[in-house]
Amino acid sequence: MNFSAYRALARCVVLESLRRKDLWVVAILGFVILLASSTLGFFGFSGLEIFAKDMAVTVLGMFSTIIAVLTSSRLVPDEIKNRTLYPLLARPISRLDLLVGKLIGAVIVTWISFLLLAALTAVALMIFHVKFELIMVQYLVAKMLGLVVVCSFAMMLSTYMTPSAAATMSFIFAFGSPMIGRGLVMASAENPAIKPVCAAINSLLPQTGLFDLGGRAVYIGWSMVPVWVMGFLLAYGIAYSGAALALSWAKFRRQAV
Amino acid sequence: MKVASVVVGGTVLAAALVGSNTGSIKESVNPAIKPVGLEAQDSHAAASLLGQFRTSASSWLFLHADLYLHNGVEMRPLTDAEIRNGRKGVGSNPNEAKIHDDSKIVTVIPSEKIDFRGIFGDVERATTSYKDMTGHSHNTPRDSLPLFRLMTFLDPQFVPGWTTGANIMLWEKDREGFRKALTYLNEGLQHNPKSIDILSQIAFCHLKEFGGKRDFAQALPFLKQASAIAHENWTRLSDDEIAATKTNYQRLVVTLRELGKPEEERLAVMEGLDHFPDDVPLGRMLRELNGEVIPEAELSPPLIIKPKTDSSEPEETQKPKIRFI
Amino acid sequence: MSSAIEVKDLYVQYKTKKGEKLDAVQGLTFEVKKGEIVGFLGPNGAGKSSTLKALMGFVEAKSGEALVFGETAGTPEARKRIGYLPEVAMYYPFLTPMETLTMYGELQGMRGRLLRNEIEDLLEVVGIAHAKNKLNRSMSKGMLQRVGIAQSLLGNPELLVLDEVTSGLDPVGRKELRNLLKSRQEQGTTLFFSSHELAEVDMLCDRILLIHKGKFVEERDMSELKATLRNFYVTYRGDVSMLGLTEAWNENHDGSKTARFEAKVGLVQAITRLQDKGGQILDVVSQEGSLEDYFIDTVEAAA
Repeated sequence: MNFSAYRALARCVVLESLRRKDLWVVAILGFVILLASSTLGFFGFSGLEIFAKDMAVTVLGMFSTIIAVLTSSRLVPDEIKNRTLYPLLARPISRLDLLVGKLIGAVIVTWISFLLLAALTAVALMIFHVKFELIMVQYLVAKMLGLVVVCSFAMMLSTYMTPSAAATMSFIFAFGSPMIGRGLVMASAENPAIKPVCAAINSLLPQTGLFDLGGRAVYIGWSMVPVWVMGFLLAYGIAYSGAALALSWAKFRRQAV
Repeated sequence: MKVASVVVGGTVLAAALVGSNTGSIKESVNPAIKPVGLEAQDSHAAASLLGQFRTSASSWLFLHADLYLHNGVEMRPLTDAEIRNGRKGVGSNPNEAKIHDDSKIVTVIPSEKIDFRGIFGDVERATTSYKDMTGHSHNTPRDSLPLFRLMTFLDPQFVPGWTTGANIMLWEKDREGFRKALTYLNEGLQHNPKSIDILSQIAFCHLKEFGGKRDFAQALPFLKQASAIAHENWTRLSDDEIAATKTNYQRLVVTLRELGKPEEERLAVMEGLDHFPDDVPLGRMLRELNGEVIPEAELSPPLIIKPKTDSSEPEETQKPKIRFI
Repeated sequence: MSSAIEVKDLYVQYKTKKGEKLDAVQGLTFEVKKGEIVGFLGPNGAGKSSTLKALMGFVEAKSGEALVFGETAGTPEARKRIGYLPEVAMYYPFLTPMETLTMYGELQGMRGRLLRNEIEDLLEVVGIAHAKNKLNRSMSKGMLQRVGIAQSLLGNPELLVLDEVTSGLDPVGRKELRNLLKSRQEQGTTLFFSSHELAEVDMLCDRILLIHKGKFVEERDMSELKATLRNFYVTYRGDVSMLGLTEAWNENHDGSKTARFEAKVGLVQAITRLQDKGGQILDVVSQEGSLEDYFIDTVEAAA
């Protein structure tokens, strides 16, 4: 564990993202949401609290995932393409240290943009007089864990394929994994013979849908998620991200650059 | 699904900034998009790119209203294979079964019984707005009214937004609900002066009974106007408009019968059957006009809501809001 | 003197995207002693960068051995003692030189005031202290090369591995760099660098290694090579043949003749013969030979 290396690498990723103005997109989007919310209020729409919450979690989920995928899927390929990798690899750090440090940076960038957008949407929700509920905190925590899975998955794919392909695949699995999982269940219900295959495929997929508590946070009267579920999400997030990182390292550790 | 929802949903907000003014957009920009030949559609929002977004946003909101009714529990129809395999839908509770036919609907998230995913399935059911909806009831539709307001604000030519919204207002079953529904529909009529569905729905408001009185005379002009528009534009009507026309003929015939105008009633039945020769209720009405006695077994559910013994009973007592744990 | 670099029978192989195997380095063996400045020469595609990459651990050797101060090349232990300058200097465009060097320094295990002071000193030494807070993206190629040189010097490494070191530098910059590298050598740093700039090699190196098509061609001590490359000329009048002493002689337009000798002994014999046979010596010149000619001739001979 080379923490000073992780810190140095992560800070580089964050500074680059901040100065490349990636997060400006998020800030502008948040501003548009605020403006639109104010406009709806101006036109006298009331009773749209659920709709406002629905929009908030949808926008939050989508844009944080986009930031996560786009940041993570170009971490390693951009280093190779821009030849910035050589001075890095010339330092007395292992390639695993490099991957871990870069991944931490991508996660921090994603979390910053997520929390920034969450803060802006919280203001928008206040315009609609949406009451604060504790499940919203659970939603934020679970989502942040899920974003770690998305980041590590996208980074892993980017070591095996082009950044564009990795980003596309990441989007498909990040947004589509709940549907794919449910589709597999339907398929196996219709044809029990393929159940083992469906189970194997499902266990390999990143279960990003599990981290989305948006439905419970949006609609009225849903209870908080049990502690064991949050514990499971934490354990799964760590295990899956660790596995993705290991796969990235397996490819990257001997890769000629 | 999620991405599509977001794209459309995001557009809702963006489009809200623009409002409903499409009058300045020239029709020649995209004339092929006009779905029907009615003049009311000449200023249809779909006549512009932004209009298409707004139309999509309204449609998305319309579909989303169902999610509101189920408190966030996503439902889907059973597949053909599931029906063949004998899988049953969740169905509505007995109080609501006549209003909501959910017998071929299941939850999108698989129930524990059919889910092979073990703890992953358990966690998904725990983290999402999932509930085994067997024999379920619905949230009061009034909660979704603001959505209808928003969808018609975004796209004033979105007729289902006006008619379904008004229908929900009528659930109030009181003068206030009636007044609100009628005001709402009249606003819709201003934007869609030749909409068969809206005209027929206005008539339906008058035909609803409040305090033991249905106003057939008030309903008649709207029903006549709707059938005249349909008759004139018959070859250019959309599927939705054809369906609305059929209902309108049935209402028109009943109204004329109630008002004691047999000749006009016969003409209306004949015109209706001319367009819908297989329509059972219209055929039955013709047989009645011809003096036939219709056996009890052939009688279908009433076309117009029959008088209730206690119409002032609050809706909530019949359809309690669902609360999930 | 112990070795800074030891390479024994090194093979480096790449796989192309079509799956074909490409032998970049084939059985290379050489040694660089501590405190030396060794130039690594060869035409484009000779395998210079591949060898340097193998030394840094960027590519894995197919076979053979590469050691840096006795440590296996490419390991963090070996890299800790090396400063490396890549062939094309690209640095994070949205960081400043100060931030860039801070990151590399921290990866090197340095931190705090010590690191900050060293960075300030290095930026001063490479001449970009005035631009330390400008973004890298706004800098010229030469300035970026100076950032690269500074990063390679971070932590005062015992061995500097420099790939095309003078790339992007103007003549003034080259001179400054030469002085800098010489001063580092005086402090005990070993330098191993590849270059196409033979003039730089000439001015900097103690020794050169020449490779071609991934194979070792020859290794020359620079002072010895320079002596070898020196030519001697005698211009004379008279009917005296130089046959047997040199084949390189010709008649000038004014009727005089000039003979060239690669060794001093040839010149002495020629002068003796001219004196014996009544030739009139007009001029005697000792001229340094061209490294470029040597390079081209040797590479052509090895091809």
